[in-house]
Amino acid sequence: MAEICCEEAKSTPATAVAAASVSATAAAAAAVAVASSALERRRRRLEMRRFRVAGDPEAPVAEDVRAAKRQRLARTLSSTCPDAGSGSGSDSDRPALPERLPRYGVTSVCGRRREMEDTVSVRPDFVPGTSKQHFFGVFDGHGCSHVATMCQNMMHEVVADEHRKADCSGEETAWKAVMERSFARLDEQAASWATSRSRDEPSCRCEQQKPLRCDHVGSTAVVAVVSPTHVVVANAGDSRAVLSRAGVPVPLSVDHKPDRPDELARIKAAGGRVIYWDGARVLGVLAMSRAIGDGYLKPFVSSEPEVTVTERTDDDECLILASDGLWDVVTNEMACEVVRACFHSNGPPAPAARANGAALRAAENGSAAAKGVSVEDSDKACSDAAMLLAKLALARRSADNVSVVVVDLRRGI
Amino acid sequence: MDQQGAGGDAEVPAGLGLTAAEYEQLRSTVDAHHRYAVGEGQCSSLLAQRIHAPPEAVWAVVRRFDCPQVYKHFIRSCALRPDPEAGDALCPGRLREVSVISGLPASTSTERLDLLDDAARVFGFSITGGEHRLRNYRSVTTVSELADPAICTVVLESYVVDVPDGNTEDDTRLFADTVIRLNLQKLKSVAEANAAEAAATTNSVLLPRPAE
Repeated sequence: MAEICCEEAKSTPATAVAAASVSATAAAAAAVAVASSALERRRRRLEMRRFRVAGDPEAPVAEDVRAAKRQRLARTLSSTCPDAGSGSGSDSDRPALPERLPRYGVTSVCGRRREMEDTVSVRPDFVPGTSKQHFFGVFDGHGCSHVATMCQNMMHEVVADEHRKADCSGEETAWKAVMERSFARLDEQAASWATSRSRDEPSCRCEQQKPLRCDHVGSTAVVAVVSPTHVVVANAGDSRAVLSRAGVPVPLSVDHKPDRPDELARIKAAGGRVIYWDGARVLGVLAMSRAIGDGYLKPFVSSEPEVTVTERTDDDECLILASDGLWDVVTNEMACEVVRACFHSNGPPAPAARANGAALRAAENGSAAAKGVSVEDSDKACSDAAMLLAKLALARRSADNVSVVVVDLRRGI
Repeated sequence: MDQQGAGGDAEVPAGLGLTAAEYEQLRSTVDAHHRYAVGEGQCSSLLAQRIHAPPEAVWAVVRRFDCPQVYKHFIRSCALRPDPEAGDALCPGRLREVSVISGLPASTSTERLDLLDDAARVFGFSITGGEHRLRNYRSVTTVSELADPAICTVVLESYVVDVPDGNTEDDTRLFADTVIRLNLQKLKSVAEANAAEAAATTNSVLLPRPAE
């Protein structure tokens, strides 16, 4: 299995190179070949979990969807013709469509770890009374899974509640306060878990201890709120959020490793120490400097998130949230290339794939091409991308759980 | 340990958290069980924890070589290695396989019971294998009763261990002391909770008597 995985790992960079140097059709074919054969093998060998919302919220507008599909199909066909420019001419004739839910793919894999302690939370339209705000979160637990499970179940509700209280209109400072309060509330919940856990919660090993005390359990939390105009990211720990913009990875979070210079200074100022014991660790014990929970390492391990608010642009392709099981073995660049390859295999090429010399034509064609991607194609592309990234991480011998969320940010979908 | 002089009037080791009067009462225990010949490339340390519970209640938890997770943090599971001759008896030479929770710089630890003295309340074990960076780790835990200035139980735990390549004595002591300090704090919680529960049980048994 390792040899097969390594072989597949080698083919992926080739696909990335192909995407840059050969025609879109060849690149798409290569990506399809890699994806289909890899998926078939993965399906047989890996324990995969894919999370998807039950029932398609778009069902009530089936008629509009069908009409939109016909137009998109026609546009897609035309965009593959030599006179692709003609597609933009009909833009003004296209009726306005309701704002779409973002398309996304999710994969969570136990991998080589003994237990699964990652959780993922996807909550479309999660703020009651307002639409177009969508929640995505990846939580990588350690010590036990119950803190990560708590974040999966509660984080979106707490963020929505704090958002309502703040009457948040989108300013960066307002979002920062919302996220900081939300993370603090989850941290308090983690600390009081032992005394306040409800009967219906799934049991875990910690329940067997008496008296209950779970100070040594915690979780990373990387959370994204996607709206039509902005992407808000809040992060505590060493999971990560990366935006792909015109083919270039843009980090929306910075890992909280104990030897990050500003984190190291903060820990020392608080009276703690970081030593290298199988990597940099707070007191030689924990390999991250921020997390939800881990009460025994307070105040050195903080739950305060770093928050970024990023305005969306037409060049945005996707958002990737993942645990360090992925990022420890896959670079931001490689991850964006994999997603791009999957997008290629499910529709017209993205604008940045065009040669520099045809910048004007690229912009024109790119716009038309992006609008031509259908919901179904995007769903498949995102799911393929998430699964392929997890497979790549395992092939590169990641020693951890791997959880990946890929969100399609292309306009017009 | 160098910090404990051979002289009769040694001061209380720094960071131990005991008063001079308390330490004086523990001197013979320290001399008998918590001194090591620390070699080149090794380090050693001694930690103390006051517990407001009878020493026998504390000892009942400490002596459980087969079930350290009752008072130790970071243990995912523990299995005593079968010994046909000993059966269920806990006696020197027994081995246990400890599995460690995720997120820590260790995954397993094989540990040998070196000493189990119920009369003197002395417990000792060493680490003989596993996936971690503590080589030649040897530890002793004692449970003592103090009478002055107030009745209380003091647990002392000491160890000697190799300093791993790439780390300093301070690094090694910080890591090991952190884990032990957390364990001793939990031992305090467990033993005091057990004692409170036992006292409550006793009271409930005694309550009907006045009605007779």
